[in-house]
Amino acid sequence: MNQDATRRAVIAGMAAGAGLAAVPRSAFAAPKKFKIALSNSYIGNEWRIEMVNLFKAALEMEPYKSQVEGSYFNSGNNVSQESQQISGMIAERVDAILVDAASPTGLNGIIQQAHARGILVISFDNVVTTPAAIKVNTDQFKFGETLADWVAKKIGGQGNVIMVTGVAGTTVNEQRNKGAESVWQKHPGIKIVNRYAGDWDSATAEKNTAAILPSLPKIDGIWCQGGTDGVLKAFIAAKRTPLPPTAGEAENGFRKFMIGYMGQKVDGLSIGQPPYLVLVALELARRILNKTYPRRDITIPFPFVTDATVKVGQTVFPQMTDSFFTDFTDSGPNAVVKIGVNAALHGTPGPGTLTVHLPKV
Amino acid sequence: MQPDTTADALPRGNRLGHLIAQNIGLILAGAILLIAIVGFIVIYGIEQQRLPGNFELTSTVNSAVPLVFAAVGQCFVVLTKGIDLSVGGVVDLANAMAAVTMGKSLASALGWSVVILLVGAACGLVNGLLVALGRLQPIVVTLGTLSIYQGLAIRVLPEPGGMIPPAFTNFLVNPNAPYALIFIVVLALAWSAFRRSRAGVDLYAIGNDEAAARALGVNILRTKIIAYMLDGTLAAAAGLFLAASATAGDATTGNSYTLSSIVAVVLGGVSLFGGRGSAIGAIAGALITTLIVNILFFGHVNPLFQSFYEGVFLLIAVVVGGVIGGTIRRRPK
Repeated sequence: MNQDATRRAVIAGMAAGAGLAAVPRSAFAAPKKFKIALSNSYIGNEWRIEMVNLFKAALEMEPYKSQVEGSYFNSGNNVSQESQQISGMIAERVDAILVDAASPTGLNGIIQQAHARGILVISFDNVVTTPAAIKVNTDQFKFGETLADWVAKKIGGQGNVIMVTGVAGTTVNEQRNKGAESVWQKHPGIKIVNRYAGDWDSATAEKNTAAILPSLPKIDGIWCQGGTDGVLKAFIAAKRTPLPPTAGEAENGFRKFMIGYMGQKVDGLSIGQPPYLVLVALELARRILNKTYPRRDITIPFPFVTDATVKVGQTVFPQMTDSFFTDFTDSGPNAVVKIGVNAALHGTPGPGTLTVHLPKV
Repeated sequence: MQPDTTADALPRGNRLGHLIAQNIGLILAGAILLIAIVGFIVIYGIEQQRLPGNFELTSTVNSAVPLVFAAVGQCFVVLTKGIDLSVGGVVDLANAMAAVTMGKSLASALGWSVVILLVGAACGLVNGLLVALGRLQPIVVTLGTLSIYQGLAIRVLPEPGGMIPPAFTNFLVNPNAPYALIFIVVLALAWSAFRRSRAGVDLYAIGNDEAAARALGVNILRTKIIAYMLDGTLAAAAGLFLAASATAGDATTGNSYTLSSIVAVVLGGVSLFGGRGSAIGAIAGALITTLIVNILFFGHVNPLFQSFYEGVFLLIAVVVGGVIGGTIRRRPK
């Protein structure tokens, strides 16, 4: 999910000053190691960068360090290219392929071929529809529903609400919208005064909000799939303050507004699609290959904070950029996984072993 | 490849030189394709300790077919000195329609394929009428229609899904053997026939000098509309191949074909200034574009730099091609 200019990633990569660096492969490949390849459709936004960094960090931590030989590839959000890369992984005879797909259906053909050749395929985040792949994800319908529920309660079931949607034509966008619609139907007092795309991108959301805001009446609540901080910045620029209650994604910028930012403070609910889905997929692959876990789909709960529970240094980082996704790790006693901020930022492995809790069988 | 009547008039020694000069784009494209194939086999051999086999050949051909069709479509329009940015939109629309309509039987899939190809032709007709009749700039017209066709595609298929009958997939992009090569050969043969037809000659005449072609009695309107309609039809065919290999539809997967078809055409030695190049070159260009992805994959290039290197390869190919082509074309004089 999340579309943006790939250009930015390339420039950032070049600025990092690296050259034709080979993908890290283990120095000596013990024959027992499982070959697990990550096919990532896109690397243009911070979410995907954090996701890949978490994967890289995990490969350097036990138990993965001694059991897995990992590699990762990026396909610039181009379905045919990602499909071709998965063909390459099949040719390399990997044991498992983890896929964050450019399209829920576009890779079905090649994934069926991988499956037919005995390769374990696990799709996560932007999951694919073919039964040949095991799915690891959060519940996207519930995502939209939970955000809408919170807004409805916060404004007492009465008032004008805007919906800032995601990238058209994707399953995630459709599911989240449907989740929200299911709530609005229960509240006749809520009026959806406008519904426009923010494309899960703060800059796009800000631009589109700024363009549409002058034509809108007073807004009592914001429902936003992503690019939430951009929407709020457009409200401030249009002097529509104080900011209305906002339900949105897990951008650091949005959470900064929850603790006070740019002279404003917002009541909000922030839900994240966690980048650590990749770690759950990796652990699931390892366990299935070790034959210690059944082949089955996994739905994990999404981490969320409100203006009442947000914590500086844990779920919001005032010194970091607004576009940073703050839900790189889970927290609390029932956490799915706990990993440090440097793993998300730089792919630096943490100390000790990495424990990922899969749901009990 | 210009329509040349001058060749016969030249002294013998110069004829070969003239032939090379006229087809330099195509020759270079062939050379780059050869380098790409050898490069791929070498890198694959080093990394995998074996040679690419049936699976690698089949999957490479199957990944390349949609782009081959889109690139040949683009080639028709580029030869008229135009450009078609709506290719991606037509691919999307065809892809979405295929997923929604085809159902389970091969017969219905083939029937709907014809309808979808006609829809592609209609999309091309709209472009052609606006460009030729409205005398509007192709880049502006097709930028507009790109959004329209993309919008229609999302309308047809709001959420990825639908299905393609397995028999249709096996027919177009068989996963077990590179049968899809047959479609590429058929396309190349069809091109050769077109090239020799009246419309084919007129196409080059327009691309070289529209005013002169008009003075010589070439029907500009008709020829341009034919070019855009063939382009639309082939883009729709690309969408069918794409849907077949995915086994389902997604109204956004075709977007990348706008740019990659232009890249393939340029790599194939077709001049964006019109009137020079051929669809055979465009086919070679599409195969090169596909092979570059494979080479970067098996070369284990850092994913962050993949698009960077794709761009570098493209620039090198275009600059080298331009320099060599320019030198050779100037020399015989």
